[in-house]
Amino acid sequence: MLKGHLDMIVLAALAAAGSAHGYAVIEEIKRRSGGAFDLPEGTIYPALHRLEQAGMLRSTWTTADSGRRRRVYTLTRTGTRALVERRAVWKQFSDAIGGLLGGNRPRETPA
Amino acid sequence: MIPDYLESLARELDFDRSLSRCVREEVEDHLWEAVAAEPSGNTRQAQQRVIANFGDARAIAAQFAVVSLAQRTRRAGIAAVLVIAGDLVAMKARVAWYAAARWDISDGMRALRGLVILIDRYAFWMSVIIGLGALAYILSREIPAAFCPAFRRQLRCFSLLCSATAAALVVSVISDGVLTALQLQGMEPSVEIWVAIFTMAVEIACVGILLVHIRSMTLRAASTAALVKT
Repeated sequence: MLKGHLDMIVLAALAAAGSAHGYAVIEEIKRRSGGAFDLPEGTIYPALHRLEQAGMLRSTWTTADSGRRRRVYTLTRTGTRALVERRAVWKQFSDAIGGLLGGNRPRETPA
Repeated sequence: MIPDYLESLARELDFDRSLSRCVREEVEDHLWEAVAAEPSGNTRQAQQRVIANFGDARAIAAQFAVVSLAQRTRRAGIAAVLVIAGDLVAMKARVAWYAAARWDISDGMRALRGLVILIDRYAFWMSVIIGLGALAYILSREIPAAFCPAFRRQLRCFSLLCSATAAALVVSVISDGVLTALQLQGMEPSVEIWVAIFTMAVEIACVGILLVHIRSMTLRAASTAALVKT
């Protein structure tokens, strides 16, 4: 379940954090989800590389205070668009499930 | 502990040296930052915990291998189109040189030349159509997160398209070679002849580049499959 939405989670965390390196993205995910997502931290990095390859992220190398080289990621316009689309799909899905489980009727979409 | 872990991760990613270097630096930054954030400080247990949270080096390398393979297939698609363009430029340059030098073929060879030109033309345009199709196919696919059956199918289809492009281009280059041989038949060795030979060498090099790309993509797919399997 989580694996299927990893890209959306990473994009959302980056949108919230602005430019961020891998560790900061993971911290942002933990913070915003209240620690609900307990995935191996290493899986974030292939996802970041994949999203960059797809043009949704851009990365630059900087030097951290520790003196180590750090790769910092930023959402591109394509990434922002992709996040908006995924958010809309998720909202629709979540409303539908909410309607099923809670008895609330999901808002009808205009024809 | 962290240096050992980084070493094993870099070793697993050895199939792509630049990726291996860059992932190693990125992960090193992550692991030391995570250790610094540990309440127990930089102890052996803290490093152990941070590495355990990060995940198995081989499993992470397998995920990177899929991303790297997807990138390689895209590069092969772009290379196919660029190689075709290079081939076309070399071909046109040679024909323009023949026209400028007012070289013509002997009457006895005209019929054979007509047939070879026909084969050359069909083979070349077939390579253009299939090559563009291969590029459009691979660029329209999402980069997969795993080496799943859908990605394997995608790879098989793309490899087939690339191989068909290369085969058509090989036929076109062989036809060009025959045409050049007919054109240069009986001519004395001179500087002018080298222009025709050079453009033929460019065409052969173009096909060679495409074949190298296809081979490297196939090898990478095999190594990714092996990494994912274990």
